[in-house]
Amino acid sequence: MKLHSLLRNAALLGLLSLSLGACNKPASTEGGTSSPSGGEKSKKIAFVTNGVASFWTIAAAGVKAAARDLKIDAQTLMPAEGISDQKRMVEDLLTRGIDGIALSPIDPANQTELINMAAKKAKVITHDSDAPKSERLLYIGMDNYKAGRMCGELVREAMPAGGTVMIFIGRLEQDNAKRRRQGVIDALLGRPEDSSRFDETSAVLEGKGFKILGTLTDQFDRAKGKANAEDALAKYPDLGCMVGLFAYNPPLILEALSQSNKLGKVKLVAFDEDDATLDGIEKGSVFGTVVQDPYMYGYKSVEVLSGLLSGKPEAVGADKFLDIPARKILKENVVAFRTELKTRLGAAQ
Amino acid sequence: MASPLLEARQISKSFAGVRALKGVSLSVYPGEVLAVVGENGAGKSTLMKILAGVQRPDSGELVVDGAVRTIGSVQEALRFGIALIHQELNLAETLDVGANIFLGREPHRCGWVDAVRIETEARIVLERVGLSVEPGALVGDLTIGQQQLVEIAKALSVNARVLIMDEPTSSLSDHEAKVLLRLIRELRSKGTGIVYISHRLGEVQGLADRVEVLRDGDNAGRLLREEISHGAMVQLMVGRALAQFYPHEPHETGEVVLDVVGLRTRANPGKVVDFQLRAGEIVGLAGLVGAGRSELLDALFGVVPALQGTVRVSGELVELRSPRMAMDAGIALVPEDRKHQGLFLEMGVRENLSIASLHREQTGGFLNRAKERALCEEMMPALRIKAAGVEQPVQFLSGGNQQKVVIGKWLATRPGVFLLDEPTRGVDIGAKQEIYRLMEELAANGAAVLFVSSDLEEILGMSDRVLVLHEGRLSGELLRKDLSEEAVMRLATAAHTEVAASSI
Amino acid sequence: MKKNLGIFGLLVVVCVVTALLSDSFLSAYNVENVLRRSALFGILSIGVGFVIITGGIDLSLGSVVCLVGCALPWLLTVQHWPLPLALLAVAAVSLGIGLFHGLLITKLRIQPFIVTLCGLLLYRGVARGFTADQTVGFGTEFKTLRLLSTGKVPFLPGFDLPAPLFFLALVAILAALFLNRTIFGRYLLALGRNPQAATYSGIPTQRMTVLAYVISSGLAGLGGVLFVLDVNSAQPVDFGNFYELYAIAAAVLGGCSLRGGEGSIVGILIGATLMQVLRNTITLVTTRNNVEFAIIGAVILVGVVADELARRVAARRRAARVLLSSSAG
Repeated sequence: MKLHSLLRNAALLGLLSLSLGACNKPASTEGGTSSPSGGEKSKKIAFVTNGVASFWTIAAAGVKAAARDLKIDAQTLMPAEGISDQKRMVEDLLTRGIDGIALSPIDPANQTELINMAAKKAKVITHDSDAPKSERLLYIGMDNYKAGRMCGELVREAMPAGGTVMIFIGRLEQDNAKRRRQGVIDALLGRPEDSSRFDETSAVLEGKGFKILGTLTDQFDRAKGKANAEDALAKYPDLGCMVGLFAYNPPLILEALSQSNKLGKVKLVAFDEDDATLDGIEKGSVFGTVVQDPYMYGYKSVEVLSGLLSGKPEAVGADKFLDIPARKILKENVVAFRTELKTRLGAAQ
Repeated sequence: MASPLLEARQISKSFAGVRALKGVSLSVYPGEVLAVVGENGAGKSTLMKILAGVQRPDSGELVVDGAVRTIGSVQEALRFGIALIHQELNLAETLDVGANIFLGREPHRCGWVDAVRIETEARIVLERVGLSVEPGALVGDLTIGQQQLVEIAKALSVNARVLIMDEPTSSLSDHEAKVLLRLIRELRSKGTGIVYISHRLGEVQGLADRVEVLRDGDNAGRLLREEISHGAMVQLMVGRALAQFYPHEPHETGEVVLDVVGLRTRANPGKVVDFQLRAGEIVGLAGLVGAGRSELLDALFGVVPALQGTVRVSGELVELRSPRMAMDAGIALVPEDRKHQGLFLEMGVRENLSIASLHREQTGGFLNRAKERALCEEMMPALRIKAAGVEQPVQFLSGGNQQKVVIGKWLATRPGVFLLDEPTRGVDIGAKQEIYRLMEELAANGAAVLFVSSDLEEILGMSDRVLVLHEGRLSGELLRKDLSEEAVMRLATAAHTEVAASSI
Repeated sequence: MKKNLGIFGLLVVVCVVTALLSDSFLSAYNVENVLRRSALFGILSIGVGFVIITGGIDLSLGSVVCLVGCALPWLLTVQHWPLPLALLAVAAVSLGIGLFHGLLITKLRIQPFIVTLCGLLLYRGVARGFTADQTVGFGTEFKTLRLLSTGKVPFLPGFDLPAPLFFLALVAILAALFLNRTIFGRYLLALGRNPQAATYSGIPTQRMTVLAYVISSGLAGLGGVLFVLDVNSAQPVDFGNFYELYAIAAAVLGGCSLRGGEGSIVGILIGATLMQVLRNTITLVTTRNNVEFAIIGAVILVGVVADELARRVAARRRAARVLLSSSAG
């Protein structure tokens, strides 16, 4: 309740300042801004996400907490309309004279130019999804391939005797999605680690007792996401395990399972920490999930950028990678995880 | 006589097995006006389309300057100097007059349209057809009559040797028609061969050197200059003599049904109109195009509500802010533009006939299908509507039958005041007479009939009384005994400025 | 009825081919799923069908689905409104939107395309505003209410009818009666054929136009409620995205002409079902769903082209018959 009204006020404020003539201000969502009280000519930092999701709300809380701790002006921006919206946002930020940007590139391979352009005018780091070929100073995040492998291990634990698996994901254009999915596949088939591999979505893959029947994407259309789960259940009545790799996929799969009375009968392995997913783990209808630590993405991004802006190059390590590892959440640690999440979100307010 | 410019020999044409032309022959000589007359469906338009390259004949040959030719397209016909002015307007309404005249053959320099040349040349042809509009004026802003003249100007600008005109005067005012007829004579004197199609036999009589009569896709007969008369043409067209063309009888007029006082229309806000109609009389509303005739009817029917003024129907004050209000007051309007305003072309005869009276025959909003059927069973024979059935889409009916459907739709509302705007435009002779008879019947049954016509003959033939509009105000009124072409024209052009009751 | 034969044939062909290629297509579970989805999209398609019949277009309905789909859970779970009040509010909003569109189109004479295009942007924006872009949903609450969408009515042993199908049936029957049996339906068809002649025939054209937009937005609202009850959560950024285009495509497949004046409820239902069956087919028969839009686009195009060709043949025959009768008469 409180968070909502706060966010609403922030959004309203953004809208107001926009209508007052700050035309170069990004028109999209502002997950929350905070500025230090007083202080001359404070540096400005922007945390740009790859879309709108509750995942990013948690990250925004981290951004906010870091901004408060470090007394720096930091805001979170969530592009709603995909890659072009993100580009427009970054351009507007640069026009506004932003000092540091933490960006989660939607399509890293094709956004190198944008990132390089931004790097000329501001300190730029990437988070969540990396653009290794660009001139970004650092990548904060998790290795999606490794997290995917964790997810694969969960499937293995859920079905020790092996079985059929179907993968559901929003879309595969983004690098983190590709790597996450590949991690699941490679772990299940017992392949050695190689994050550059890519299996076609239509390929049926078999090995080590597991049969991966395919990957279905929904392009963020939730009705379609649910339909995908339903169609998979119709097509493979003896399906063993469903893997939902974007935050909203597991809840939709849960809907499909509960409507066909297959809750618990078909295993569900999730990714991220949607409320319904965590509920499912408590109740046993979801075997487990792999969570990233978006709060730390937000917090560390602000911390690193703030360090860079105050002339501390040591903030960047030699490998230009700040690892924020993923975690497995199962029935035994789900309650503790939820408490932690709540505290962090609460602290940000 | 010189050799013909263009000859059609034994032309036949079938559409999906139906023979529209059964071996028709025709020749056009330089410096003559050849009138082609015939009822609708006689094959006139098909024959003209073949001459102009729009369609190809199944058999028979076309001879241009003595040599047998194939005319495969409009472009080819133009190259032989043959141009056709269609009955239906073929103009791009969103382009200006000059652009329309040169559409498809714009003069250009290195790919750039030569606007200066378009304007000067357009001005020349516009002057020749007597149309005083700027080449830069939008065609959509012109009246139908003016648009027709643009169409003619377009044909003139190609310097045709054979000019085919399909009903060119049907939407022109009398004045415009006169200019056009003078133009045709001028072209004739310069050696152009003119093929002239018209339903207005009076016009044909005054203009044509020869008349070719078609009937049922065949040559029905030829009349030379001295043989041309109204009666002779009608006899050949319908295959029998028509006793009396205008079935007008004097009527006994009753109470005042429509009383209009101080009516100010949106089209002519500076002028007011006052007049009365009595039960059982037929009143003609004459005037030039642009005099505000249709606008007056539209105001009375509530389509474009009047700015000011009071209207009483049978003594009762009525508000006319929408067509529905006018209908409730007992007023009906057969609009000028049948296809756009009168009919739902793709819908059947049944749906068209019932559309205006549905709201009276409903039960709780539901259609009363029995009443709808009964209406068709009553109207179709009563009006002699020829259709393949009640469900036949009206677009496939002849102009006359279409008009009868529009009239039938309003008969069904049993109106006390019947307004008709150009009721016989584009209608063949047989149907024309039937429409006249219907008007007579309406009057005999006690309705007040007010009709607009640009055909003076019709105005003279059918009216008990004539109201004449000039630039939005009534310039005068003529009783039947005072009616003459000159009298009407004098009022219509306001040559004689009578102090009319309508001045403010 | 005859006009819908072609598209019905296409539906049958797609069904038969899918059934031959996939054993699960005709399984009770799958048929139930397809029926539920067809019902949800069918309701939207009937709504937009009314607007298309008057010669207009409604591009806003996907956003209305989004607005209502987000507003209902938001009002219930965030604002804690009582259920009847929340339902009343979303009904009033969706009908009000239609009224607003209709008035702009008739009174100010703004083109429907523009009015509803602005609506498309506006309503999604409003939904994103009041939810602050947060996903809203019912969580584990409102199970009973959700039965309206997720519920099933036993029909045959092992085969249940999904609840939305009953909503669709009700909507379709009322719509068909309205369109074919009332004078207002006739007015709508006439208005779509020729608005000028409709005015000259004393049809209250403005009121009928407004009515069509109210129906369209109202049914989009109903669809939005049922969609969110089915999916259980709505993200304002993408909820209902492109649904207006699916609905318009279904209506056009079902014989509605964008020129206005033509369309049948049965046709629209078949069109909406065909769209959903196609999507199902692609998932069941192939292992790649990224060509889905290509296939749907191609099938719609084939359907529309075939329909146009059939119409031309019919028109030519009719014209021939007319010539025959006029030359005989």
